[in-house]
Amino acid sequence: MSDSLEVKGLRREFGSVIALADFNLDVAKGELVALLGPSGCGKTTALRIIAGLEKSDSGSVILNAKDISGTPAHMRNMGMVFQAYSLFPHLTVAENVAFGLKMRKIGKTSRDLKIDSILELVGLHKHHKRFPHQLSGGQQQRVALARALVIEPEVLLLDEPLSALDAQVRTNLREEIRRLQLSLGTTTLFVTHDQEEAMAISDRVGVMSNGRLEQIDIPDVLYNNPASTFVANFVGTMNHIPGTQRGNTVTILGKNIPVKNSKGIDGSVSALVRPESIEVSRATGSGNAKIITRSFLGASSQIICQTPEGAVIQALMPSNESGDLHPGEEVNLSITLNEVLVSHV
Amino acid sequence: MKNLGSKLILVVTGIFIFFPIYAATEFSFRSGATHSHGLAAYRWIFEQSGFLENLGITMRITTLAVVLNLAIMVPTVTWLHLSGQRFKRMIEILTILPLIIPVVALATGAQLAMPDFMQNSVYELSFMYVVVAMPYTYRALDIGLSGHSLSTLTNAARNLGASWLKTLTSVVIPTIRPSVLAALFLMIALSLGEFTLAQLLHWTTFPVWVTNVSQQNVMGATALGMGSLFFAWILLFGFSFLGGKSSMTVQEEE
Repeated sequence: MSDSLEVKGLRREFGSVIALADFNLDVAKGELVALLGPSGCGKTTALRIIAGLEKSDSGSVILNAKDISGTPAHMRNMGMVFQAYSLFPHLTVAENVAFGLKMRKIGKTSRDLKIDSILELVGLHKHHKRFPHQLSGGQQQRVALARALVIEPEVLLLDEPLSALDAQVRTNLREEIRRLQLSLGTTTLFVTHDQEEAMAISDRVGVMSNGRLEQIDIPDVLYNNPASTFVANFVGTMNHIPGTQRGNTVTILGKNIPVKNSKGIDGSVSALVRPESIEVSRATGSGNAKIITRSFLGASSQIICQTPEGAVIQALMPSNESGDLHPGEEVNLSITLNEVLVSHV
Repeated sequence: MKNLGSKLILVVTGIFIFFPIYAATEFSFRSGATHSHGLAAYRWIFEQSGFLENLGITMRITTLAVVLNLAIMVPTVTWLHLSGQRFKRMIEILTILPLIIPVVALATGAQLAMPDFMQNSVYELSFMYVVVAMPYTYRALDIGLSGHSLSTLTNAARNLGASWLKTLTSVVIPTIRPSVLAALFLMIALSLGEFTLAQLLHWTTFPVWVTNVSQQNVMGATALGMGSLFFAWILLFGFSFLGGKSSMTVQEEE
């Protein structure tokens, strides 16, 4: 698979604020890549520059081996779905979907066929005569998706399209986006601040911070093998367990574990450990922690413990193994990892 | 009780607006000392020289003023909303100036600032009317644009392949259709009724002609006033009807 979209060294400043600093990204043909990051990390700016709606100070956007950095937005053939509802209020659903086709001078017969087909795909073929104000938020975003896809874009850009919707609609629509993306094979770049959304439907997830891509990889690697403390903290739940680093190892909960980053430094650190990487076992005598609460979550249970030093540690374990653990009990906590990320305190 | 109060306000307002119109209309149909009713005053209007000629001049000025107003104000206010926010306060103050500056000063300024070819044309009034109407038309358009996420709509249109001109004509103007129509109506109403600037710039427009001939016949003057009022209403309803119909369809690029 050849690269479909390539972004090289994008930089964008707004006054003294650096929105993007040397931003690089490759998206393969037919791939869905999510850009994940906190507010203000530059992900929407990157998307707008790729769409041609914003100019970069430097860097280039290359689509199918052609530099399109100077191409105006209306000539880039990219479909985009926005965070805010963007349907044209004076046009019906069918007319909204037809807009991009009319701009491309597609004949009426062909246009009508395409509109029927895409509205069928998003399940809104019975609503083609309705105006945007007669649709729910989820329906409006599905029409916006149909409108962006009907022009057969080279790249589909999704700028937090689900953030204005309620939880249930959001979950359904994200599955629908993935289904459509896979069936049409559209190269897609999806910007979101919701990690669950990004992990659930993306082939790869790029985590952004301060205008840079911190790490981009498949969701499993990003979760289990974060490249930096920022990624580790941003993706999933993370415990910060106090410990002492000596050279290349850190001592936490009475165990020496090799460190993955910041090697060769001595001092107090916080080891970053996921709840599922902590084993909880009942202590025969006094343990290294005490259970504060146990919450039943279905297949798994969340156990929150506190060490004698006051550190609060969260563990996640199968419910059928945690039934005999109760708040107030002394337990032994142990780490199941071979190496850990540390952040210096 | 609340309902009764609303109805009362409606009735009083209705009387306030429509009774003078009814009285003037009734008066305009009176004929001579016997106070019988007829169309004498209206016949008198058509007997006066310059009626059609001056009405034609005013219609041409009005048409150009409307076109100029839309061509200048819609893109300007759109730009202010999209990327000129930092100039918005300054423009708001500028648009109030025609209300503050006396019309005499405006007319003198126009005489001094306008190029010769425009000063020799009656169409200089169209430009002046656009300026004088600016406080109203700017606000009508500004309110319309404030009610929509203009940036998202224009970005969506551009992303779907529309040029800036196409975005303006196919998305922005139809989206704020009521505001554009309001601006248009204000422009028409002002152009059809403006007297001072036309008089000061020595052009005989329809309102100036009406003032001149009205001094000869009081019933004829009332008939002219009522005729002008109903003509303006018909014109506004016509524009409203056309605007309502045409804005619901997107022009095809074919």
